[in-house]
Amino acid sequence: MPLQSAANKSAILQGTLDLMVLNTLASLGTLHGYGIARRIEQVSEQALQINQGTIYASLVRLLHRGWISAVWGMSENNRKARFYSITKSGRKQLQTEAQNWQRISSVIGRVLAAAARS
Amino acid sequence: MLASLKSITSRIRTTISSRRVDHEFASELENHLDLLISENLRRGMAPDSARREALIRLGGVTQLAETNRELRGLPMLETLAQDLNFAFRMLRKNPGFTAIAVLTLALGIGANTAIFSVVYAALLKPLPYPHSEQLFNVLQVSPDGKATGWSYLNLEDLRRQNTVFSELAAAQAHQLTLTGHGQPFVVNTSVITPQLFSVFQVQPIVGRAFYPEDGKPGAARVVIFSENLWRGSFGGDPAIIGSSINLDKDSFTVVGVMPAAFRFPQIAQPDQIWIPLPADPLFGPWMPRRGGHWLQVIGRLKPEVSMAQVKAELDAVNANLVSEFAVENSGWQIRTASLQGGLVRNVRSALLVLLGAVGLVLLIACANIANLLLARATSRAREIAVRATLGAARGRIVRQLLSETAVLGLLGGIAGVAMAYWGVRSLTALLPAAVPQFNPIRVDYFVLGFALLLSLLASAGFGLVPALFAAKSDLQGSLREGGGRSGESANSRRARSVLAAAEMALAMVLLVAAGLLLRSFNKLLDVNPGFNVQQIVTAEVSLPRTQYSTPRTWLGFSDELLARLHAEPGFRESAVAIPVPLADGNINLAFDIVGMPPLSASENRTANYVSVSAEYFRVMGIPLLSGRAFDQRDATTTPRVALISKALARIYFRDQDPIGRQLRFGFPPDPPVDREIIGVVGDVRDTALGSDPGPMMYVPYAQAPFPGAVVVAKSSVGLAGFTSAIRRTVASLDKDLPVTDIAEMTQILDSSVAQERFRTDLLSLFAVMALVLAATGIFGVISYSVSRRTNEIGIRVALGASRPQILTMVLRETLTLAMIGLALGVPASLAASRLLGHMLFNISASDPVTLIAVAVALCAVAVIAGYVPARRAVRIDPLRALRHE
Repeated sequence: MPLQSAANKSAILQGTLDLMVLNTLASLGTLHGYGIARRIEQVSEQALQINQGTIYASLVRLLHRGWISAVWGMSENNRKARFYSITKSGRKQLQTEAQNWQRISSVIGRVLAAAARS
Repeated sequence: MLASLKSITSRIRTTISSRRVDHEFASELENHLDLLISENLRRGMAPDSARREALIRLGGVTQLAETNRELRGLPMLETLAQDLNFAFRMLRKNPGFTAIAVLTLALGIGANTAIFSVVYAALLKPLPYPHSEQLFNVLQVSPDGKATGWSYLNLEDLRRQNTVFSELAAAQAHQLTLTGHGQPFVVNTSVITPQLFSVFQVQPIVGRAFYPEDGKPGAARVVIFSENLWRGSFGGDPAIIGSSINLDKDSFTVVGVMPAAFRFPQIAQPDQIWIPLPADPLFGPWMPRRGGHWLQVIGRLKPEVSMAQVKAELDAVNANLVSEFAVENSGWQIRTASLQGGLVRNVRSALLVLLGAVGLVLLIACANIANLLLARATSRAREIAVRATLGAARGRIVRQLLSETAVLGLLGGIAGVAMAYWGVRSLTALLPAAVPQFNPIRVDYFVLGFALLLSLLASAGFGLVPALFAAKSDLQGSLREGGGRSGESANSRRARSVLAAAEMALAMVLLVAAGLLLRSFNKLLDVNPGFNVQQIVTAEVSLPRTQYSTPRTWLGFSDELLARLHAEPGFRESAVAIPVPLADGNINLAFDIVGMPPLSASENRTANYVSVSAEYFRVMGIPLLSGRAFDQRDATTTPRVALISKALARIYFRDQDPIGRQLRFGFPPDPPVDREIIGVVGDVRDTALGSDPGPMMYVPYAQAPFPGAVVVAKSSVGLAGFTSAIRRTVASLDKDLPVTDIAEMTQILDSSVAQERFRTDLLSLFAVMALVLAATGIFGVISYSVSRRTNEIGIRVALGASRPQILTMVLRETLTLAMIGLALGVPASLAASRLLGHMLFNISASDPVTLIAVAVALCAVAVIAGYVPARRAVRIDPLRALRHE
């Protein structure tokens, strides 16, 4: 596994992680915390190695805002686990946030490109 | 909107069920860890390293739980904590400001809380008896509306016809001498019908209450003690029940002890005894006399009856009494009044005025603090602007400023409550006896709640104004201008001036009120009571009826006492009288003028009755205006005579000569007799210093002796000399007789105006507080204005303005403030003083002298407050001032 400094790990912005969690739930349906963490790592092709616990901070934030919901169930290793799924307002939020993200990243891209040219 | 609501409810839910959620979160993390470990095992790791790697990837479990706890808490509570933390830091950084603000507030809140605790205990808190709202005074009111009282027989008729009261009882208070237990002493005696205790629903703590049979004539003599008397004088010994004591040498059996909290009818007395009517040596014989209106009647209403029913029934009872016993009852009426209302009637308005006054003091204190905060907000404008620029929302900044003032308010409240504890203790010591203390006056939860509410209201009051100004402040302007000396907006400056002027106006209201009360009180003290006050001393001796059972023995005792006292050096001039003016109330009797038609039922001739020995008028310095005074000729066996006061002669004889005419009256239980008027004496203010002298009639003590009397003497040896002389003399006659109420006439006069003195002193104290606060307010505004204008003043001086010109400029600003204050204050004072109307003696509520004096004094104080900063302005060195930028 690639070595990463603590600074790099914490550099993942809160909002970004929330966005990724929302997106994961939107595409895969109901998942528990471990599942979400695994999925994010897989999708990013291990480039993004997160401190998996921070997922839970994100989950609490999203729950409070009503963008995801949670139920208790049994996980594959027969333990009690919480399963999360995205809500309707969560999907709406995901849409807005995604658009935002696109806009910001394209702006930053343009700025960086301009900086590189000069 | 809905989403944020959901978020809040979710957070509240998790905050409430926090323990369970912690547990759930732990099991969720365990599951995660478990899955990570099995993943690592699948990849072929050794169990040990699989676990270690899983833990690393999950991150610190404790930290996670901590983050989780923080996240799901209420954000409002968190920012509040932040705000409070910051507020405390700001206040610590400005200890001077904090100390002044907290002290000012503490004074205001402390004074308010202390006064409120008295108001609460006396006026608001129900009497400490079960369902005290059902307790009523049942009053039989005399035709002229001045007197109330029931005869025992009338009460029994009421009791027979009554359907609206669940219980009725009657009481009358006096004093008896208790002997047979150590030193003889005088004990407060309440003469009652046996139902009194069931009216109040109190149970004895030891023994029994009275049975109805105890109230029947001829019943065995029984007595009930108050707890304080039992513990204080009898050591709380339960064996007291069944033992016997002597009251005025009659033997009584103690049957019960009432709890200390029960103090009826002698509310002010911690010690008393209760005896049934027939057993009382003084009032017992009055029972069969229907015409004597001497009992106070208290009833407990049945829960379901309406006041209309009560009135209808009492009117019917009254009609029956009038038709059956016209002589005794015609013109009288029956009314009810709440018991508590009756107990506090005399003090209610004074207490409310004091509460209002102390409220104004708090208002001024708040205005002062608001002013300080405004000044500080201006110097903090830059800090606030920076925070706003960095993204703090307006609401957030206002909240931050409000939390600072709330912290100030609470600190002031805490210090104020501490002051109130102290204040209540000194207040209760000063409280005149007229304020009934049936509820203990103390800082209890209710009063504490009041103080808390007050401090929050106060902080909202003084915090809101500066906070709103801060929110509106001009960011760019504040940032551009230099540091602490940034410009104050015109609005804020105007607000500060308005506050200072308002403080002046409020202070004026209080000063005028205090001034009026002070002047009225001085006039009261200056009033001529109609008798000598200096060097007059008094002492009371009561004679037990058993030993001294006949009028002859009473007279014999007083004659012998006076003879022996005259033999003492320095007591040549002494007399006996009952009652003495201003001391223990009056005896008001109806009288007829022989040869004049009796008055109609609705009218009534009454006069205050005094029985005196011959020397009384000389000792007291009451002038004889015509005719002759009493002398040796007026003895038991000679024709009955009387002296009348100038007021009686003026009212009832107008231009006729009263001397030689006859009055018919008698002090119950003696029947009315005809007495010849032999002279007219000067008027005396015997009821109260503030009441005009009413008609009075004097009779010779020899023809109307009492079982006891008040000795009045002109003493050149002072109170101590008198005390030992009278004790020695009385003991030489009868060693079992206690001498009580030894006092100088000046003390009697003083305590007769205790209530007036109390409210005058307190209101003056509040007025001084108000004045000091208002002066600080003006001082603050002017010195701030001077420091802000340092630069300008420097330029003026540099351009040649003379020092007097600068001084005048600053003082003009001060006087403008003062004038605005006065312009607001005069109408406010006139309106407020009207509330004092009935408390004022010989002075109008709109007394111009007081008004002008206060206005001048306020201007003077304002000028002094402004002079200090003005002098600073004068001393400004133009060179340094110009560099001040």
